[in-house]
Amino acid sequence: MKWFYIRWGGVLIIAAIIGVLGIQRYYRDVTAISPDRLLHDQPTQTVRVLGRVEAGSIVKEGEGGPVAFQLSGQGATVSVRYLGEASENLRDLKTLVMVGKWNPTTHIFEAEKTSLMPNYGFVTAAYLISLLPMGIFLFNMERKVALLYILIKEEKVYQPEEPLENR
Amino acid sequence: MVVSRLIAKLQRYEGWFGVAAGLLIMVGLYMGLVTSSPDYYQGEVVRIMYIHVPAAQSAMFAYTVLFGGSLWYLWKRDPVVDNVSHAAAGIGIFFTLIALITGSIWAKPTWNTWWTWDPRLISFAIMLLILVGYLMLRTFLEDKEKEATYAAILAIVGFIDLPIIHFSVEWWRTLHQPLSISTRGVAIARDMLIPLLLMSIGFYLLFAYMLMVRTQMLYLQHLLEAKRGRMLSKVHL
Repeated sequence: MKWFYIRWGGVLIIAAIIGVLGIQRYYRDVTAISPDRLLHDQPTQTVRVLGRVEAGSIVKEGEGGPVAFQLSGQGATVSVRYLGEASENLRDLKTLVMVGKWNPTTHIFEAEKTSLMPNYGFVTAAYLISLLPMGIFLFNMERKVALLYILIKEEKVYQPEEPLENR
Repeated sequence: MVVSRLIAKLQRYEGWFGVAAGLLIMVGLYMGLVTSSPDYYQGEVVRIMYIHVPAAQSAMFAYTVLFGGSLWYLWKRDPVVDNVSHAAAGIGIFFTLIALITGSIWAKPTWNTWWTWDPRLISFAIMLLILVGYLMLRTFLEDKEKEATYAAILAIVGFIDLPIIHFSVEWWRTLHQPLSISTRGVAIARDMLIPLLLMSIGFYLLFAYMLMVRTQMLYLQHLLEAKRGRMLSKVHL
């Protein structure tokens, strides 16, 4: 049983490392801040801002050029200048995540990428509901096999049967 | 007893199946959750596909193993193969449940409902009921040979559900999306296809590994019961 627990301990450690890396990545690359937080913190690095496109605020600067609009959320509104590829999702009242940098001199958020509002809750639930029971199911089966081997050994049921004529 | 010998040979490499499954699933998860792109319409929710589809495929594969094993048992009366079928049913229930639960979680943001009476969903739920019925049948009878025979017949009759599951999206109007990989071609982006394939192969290997472990477990249980029974009968003599 010692090796069995060592093996499963290793699996548990690997799973924990993957989990920690996943959580780190989530907070670094996936979570988004609101426009009021952007205005409050005025971060210098690239950030993701989640908000709703204000109705009637979209102004296109020529064909294929930058798009300017207002993004609002949590009671604040921020001016955005989108420099990336034209996106069908960029339309009035659409909730979006804009990826870019805050320009402290112009007070405009200069976005390079856009993506839909992430719904990771469902994804996380699906993976946790599948992988955790899978690990427990497999652990229980392997443990039972190991215990059965011990039981069979201890009860000496593997001993050869007595021939009928000797009874 | 060709199949029994083949199973014994394969079980020598049991550990390798487990390691290969673990590695493929880890790489597949990384690609599916991190590097693959979100879907144009569904967004990030599409990532549920990398666990839902392999689980559903493995569940159907488990039933196919159960069907093949049942046919072989009725023909050759090989108890080792019956053990494999019995083990496949237990694992099949597990993968079917995972597929149904993850499908339900996926349905909520995409169809706005946890469950709908859709042909694909109903036929899949029927497979779960057949598998549960199979396992229940295996606990009802005292006579082990009769138990195995009746269970095998149930598994063979229930196999009719598998083609229904597979073709339900083509035969009826359904909310479920049609086959992405078929003889007509591949209707899925390359950066989504690779993690999906890795996860699918990983799940098949995981199923094979689980099957070997569970077959061993059932065999040891039977051995212990049989030997204890013999010991008891000796005491009574």
